[in-house]
Amino acid sequence: MPLLAVAVMIALLAWKPYVLIQGLQRGGLYALIALPMALILGIVGIINLAHGEFMMLGAYFVYSVCVNTGLDPLVAMIIAFVAFFLIGAIVYLVTIKHVLKAPELNQLLLTFGIAMVLTELANLLWTSQARKLHLSYVYSSAEVGSLTFGTFGFIYPIAAVVVLVGLLLFLKYTRTGQAALAVGQNPRGAKMVGIDVNRTYLLIFSLSTAIIAAIGALFLTRHSIFPAVGSPYTMKSFCLIAMAGIGNLTGILWVGLGLGIAEALVLSFRGYGGWADLVFFVLLVAVIMVKSYRRKIA
Amino acid sequence: MKNWRYIAYGAIAILAILFPLYSGLYIRQVAITILIYMALALSWDMLLRSGQLSFGTAGFFGLGSYAAVLLHLSSGMNPIVCILLGGVFAFIVALIVGVAVLRLRGMYFAITTLALASIFMIIVKNLPALTGGPAGKMLPSVIFAGDSSKMYWLALGIVFVTIAVSEIFQRTRIFFALTSIRDNELVAKSSGIDVFKYLVFAFAVTSALQGIIGGAYGEIYGFVSPEGSFNSNFLLLPLAMALLGGIHSTAGPIVGAVVLGVLGEYLKLKIPYGHHLVYGAIIVIVTLFMAKGIVGVVKARTRKLKKREVEQ
Repeated sequence: MPLLAVAVMIALLAWKPYVLIQGLQRGGLYALIALPMALILGIVGIINLAHGEFMMLGAYFVYSVCVNTGLDPLVAMIIAFVAFFLIGAIVYLVTIKHVLKAPELNQLLLTFGIAMVLTELANLLWTSQARKLHLSYVYSSAEVGSLTFGTFGFIYPIAAVVVLVGLLLFLKYTRTGQAALAVGQNPRGAKMVGIDVNRTYLLIFSLSTAIIAAIGALFLTRHSIFPAVGSPYTMKSFCLIAMAGIGNLTGILWVGLGLGIAEALVLSFRGYGGWADLVFFVLLVAVIMVKSYRRKIA
Repeated sequence: MKNWRYIAYGAIAILAILFPLYSGLYIRQVAITILIYMALALSWDMLLRSGQLSFGTAGFFGLGSYAAVLLHLSSGMNPIVCILLGGVFAFIVALIVGVAVLRLRGMYFAITTLALASIFMIIVKNLPALTGGPAGKMLPSVIFAGDSSKMYWLALGIVFVTIAVSEIFQRTRIFFALTSIRDNELVAKSSGIDVFKYLVFAFAVTSALQGIIGGAYGEIYGFVSPEGSFNSNFLLLPLAMALLGGIHSTAGPIVGAVVLGVLGEYLKLKIPYGHHLVYGAIIVIVTLFMAKGIVGVVKARTRKLKKREVEQ
């Protein structure tokens, strides 16, 4: 499998180098956004349909901070991290906590409702007009041979690797992280050995919200934002998680990059670029189907 | 006692039918919108009774809308026939999609149906020769030449049909099948219910209703576009309405649609941006604190009152 991936990449590099570059940048962003969602799903066991909306809100938050204070978004990111850690904690305590034992249907409805509240809140506070920060450094580019390409976009795959490694180290080597992992595997067992399950949930949800808000800052550097900007990423993130399998954080990175490249490839055919959005959905449906059938057979 | 209830229902129905005679143009427009959302809310609830949470309402709504308008444009058939064919189209698509998707449960089913609306929208957007692409298509004239009373009766007729189907779902063996699937699929299966068949049936029928509603919407406004016809409002609003009114019943979504429809219209005038916040908030609040909705609360109250009467 890895050999095949490398072969495809080399072939792409020779045939359509821009697709590879574009794809890595896009895919990096997808994987980056999916990681915190996977963390919540894996440990708290909740599918957070408001995930993309938290990123959107984080981006707006950073936007407001930057416009009002003149800070750089990459600095304002830290403020967003802290602020959304608290916001995440509040959201968890007020809403999520109460549906943990409820049927899955209620959890889905609740987070869907939260997503709508957040979108409309942004609409109310910032109107639906698109906003963008103008930063000079995002246009930095590099030349390799005859190729000229933007380099700033590589911040997404790099950030994805950083977040992934950070989370893996946290889950493996810190006491809290190990406890969280145990809770994710078996909440009752974890409780029996004396882990405070509720506090772990609270921590993981807040942490994920903080991370996604910080990602919002990175998102803001290159994209214009509007209230509905986050919602496609919720679905794309779920798509990656379903493909990688719940609990497989590293898989998300590979699947994300693969999908990013696939999308960039479709986009590179002139006249068919509009179909690129379909790549995710077709793969989502296909993977979910295959998995459900395989489960049935096994 | 029971007869009184039917007389009350009849009175409400007659009042609803006569509504255009004693209301102005603006009120009538609002009523049409409320009826459309009411029918959507009810159709969404009908599938929910089997325990399957579908986020696909907007998808089949848009599909029906497009089918009706495109048929109308290409063949010039009677708009009513086009609306019905929009429903047939949604039915066929739902049947095909349902056979695949209904193997899934819980979040996988919910998210896949959520993706459906986007998939339909992307397909529609990228076939400009057939669908008009991102700009959409416009009818030369709206249905009934813009007579809002007739439009109102069309919407009301669709609501009556939806109510009838919903009552069939509630009063025949379908009710027991769907309820037992919701309560425990394994038990349902072992008592001889063909779970898959019932789910596909419910999915296809509710989608067909959504297609008809969408078709009517397209004909009433004389316009379809990817962003407009597959708008997430056609998912968000019905959901909030059904939840507020009370799920798993015919009365709930109707009550919820009336309450939220009127409230929503009022808020739209007050807060042009972001009045949909209320719908999201209602979904959150109802799932957290009021699982049975308005109708459920009222029922519990009257039951308590009756009990007290009996005791005295």
